Amino acid sequence: MYGRRASQLVREIDSSEAGQLAPFNSDIFDQVIRECNEHNAQFQSLIRKMVEQNLDIETTRNEDHYGAAIHHLSLLRNKRCLMAYMYNRAEVIQSFRWKIGPVLPHDIQEKLHFSEKEYFKNHSAAIKSYISEMDIDLTVDMVPPKDPYIQVRVLEDIGEVSLGDHSVSLTKNSLHFLRRTDAEQFISQGLMEEFLE
Amino acid sequence: MSSWDDDDESASAATTDVELLKRAWRNEKAAPEVLRFDKDLVDRVREQIQLLVRHFSCPIFFFFRCSCGGSLTVRDVVVRQEETLDDFTDSGVDDLVVSLYQMDLDRTLFLLRSYLRLRLQKIEKYTMHISRSQDLKDRLSEQEQKFAKSCGEIMEKHLKQSVLSKLPYGYGDEFVTKQSLSSTEDDMIFIFLPVPEPQLDTFVFCKTKSDVGAFQLDDM
Repeated sequence: MYGRRASQLVREIDSSEAGQLAPFNSDIFDQVIRECNEHNAQFQSLIRKMVEQNLDIETTRNEDHYGAAIHHLSLLRNKRCLMAYMYNRAEVIQSFRWKIGPVLPHDIQEKLHFSEKEYFKNHSAAIKSYISEMDIDLTVDMVPPKDPYIQVRVLEDIGEVSLGDHSVSLTKNSLHFLRRTDAEQFISQGLMEEFLE
Repeated sequence: MSSWDDDDESASAATTDVELLKRAWRNEKAAPEVLRFDKDLVDRVREQIQLLVRHFSCPIFFFFRCSCGGSLTVRDVVVRQEETLDDFTDSGVDDLVVSLYQMDLDRTLFLLRSYLRLRLQKIEKYTMHISRSQDLKDRLSEQEQKFAKSCGEIMEKHLKQSVLSKLPYGYGDEFVTKQSLSSTEDDMIFIFLPVPEPQLDTFVFCKTKSDVGAFQLDDM
């Protein structure tokens, strides 16, 4: 049946959990694209046939006309499904920028179409340029702050750092009790993590 | 629904900017559509935050939270700060007090960031819907409009290269010929792909803050 494969893609989006991304289904995606080309070939040949019979393609309503119309509409339907598939995936991908950060882990990268990788990169750049224009970092402070001080563990040797009125030696695996705003920059660089007992 | 952003103007007279920001943030969080950007408020709050960060060791935040009206000017802050500086050089600043101010500052910063973030996320979601309406576009700040424009372009590029360019000649075109996300006409940007719109026609819970009197509801 025409349009069935394309609807599988849409169903895949529908059945996946919100915010989760399945691997890009390039197998079915390519099949649908091929189906589109097939529809188009059929459509063209029916039109050609009508032209060869010297029929007016604008007004003639014979079986070839309706055949062509079905191919045309099936193609449009496939197109809509493909667009919906891509669009909905792109929405999930853009949410990763807020949830995960500017660099996606390998296992997510593997699920993406090459154009989706590019999309993520461009979209992150758009957010970045907004942030630098506004001069306020929106990627920190994702949850309301509870305490101005937090306990952190240093993941890599940072060395002597002066924080406010005193200096701290941040050596690997040491624990510190720092102002959250001071620690945040190191945490976002991956040099520290919050230490939760 | 559009009354979210201009509700209770009368009540705002006696509140601080932080309270106003909190209200703007709450409204933005609850409303399905993007609301009008309050540039003046954001500018004022940022100015105050900057002053506080610069002079962090002197606790003025408390004073301007407690004793200032909504229209606090920079000069007010500076004057107050000099007062409090003197106050505290006499008494010596208590660490606990400083950390309370820091916490207050952190919370305000969170509010501001979260407010801006919520708006960006709505713009991401409804890029095409917003780009079709001048009224909605006017609600965005200058930077947000720029962001919306690039969001649209990026999505367009992505869909073009992943889907439309692979379709047979003529079928991938509508998007190319009718695109121009920046144009204001209601042209069908995605033919055969409905533009996602916020759901505005829905039921909400309301609580009256003051007597409203008799209120005419539709078909009731």
